[in-house]
Amino acid sequence: MGLVARVVEDMGIPTVTVSTGRDIIALVRPPRSLFVNHPMGNTFGRAGDRALQKEILRAALDLAVTATEPGVLVDLPYRWDEDFVFFTGEATAEARERQLKK
Amino acid sequence: MEPIRYVEALNNKIGAMGFSPYQWSENDTAHWTALEKPLSARTVAILVSGGISHCAAVPFNPDARNDHRVDAIDPGAPSDQYQIHDSYYDHADADRDLNCIFPVDRLTVLAAGGEIGAVAARHWSGFMGRTYNRSKVMNESGPAFVEQLKADGVDLLVAIPA
Repeated sequence: MGLVARVVEDMGIPTVTVSTGRDIIALVRPPRSLFVNHPMGNTFGRAGDRALQKEILRAALDLAVTATEPGVLVDLPYRWDEDFVFFTGEATAEARERQLKK
Repeated sequence: MEPIRYVEALNNKIGAMGFSPYQWSENDTAHWTALEKPLSARTVAILVSGGISHCAAVPFNPDARNDHRVDAIDPGAPSDQYQIHDSYYDHADADRDLNCIFPVDRLTVLAAGGEIGAVAARHWSGFMGRTYNRSKVMNESGPAFVEQLKADGVDLLVAIPA
């Protein structure tokens, strides 16, 4: 996706990428990135949390007009209210427990 | 908590599925389009890569590789008419509320409040596959997608990987 953003920007349309994978965007380096430390799939928050969804979207839009440096990566301050792990397809309590012990 | 190290975790997952190792793109610089235009005058589209398709369309392959498919999404369609097929993230919340990952309804609200100029005629869902043939993105599927954005007069794309 970061690669697509680079192509879009290169062809003349500004982009902002909003990602939950900080190491991935740091490598691929889309033109403007926001990192949200939420589980993948919850970039904009939880189901029904309209206020937070809107706040994060607004932060993305703002970055489009405030960023001055190509490849900028901004860390948003939001925290998820519980620890989470890489999704393996087995989203059970046991799987989570096992990964957190590692 | 510290951010999850996805590069390492995904490498392990891709290996466990029997696929060849994924070569991550590494870039030191980025392209840049400067546009002196306030948000209140911009037409904004959203692109998401999370296997989201309209219920009337063929579902995405949840374990796709090299899938360059990208579907146009009607911003006016109710957001509960979409399905998600992607084995790479937990979409339990997004199944109930698309805006967790694809904030189409929130963008409509911001447009109604005058914070952006307009919602584009089409949003987009695609480019989800673990893409090994990246030159195709750069030379074919990517540029073809940009032409669609240009046709809609888009002057800001919000890209959301999942």
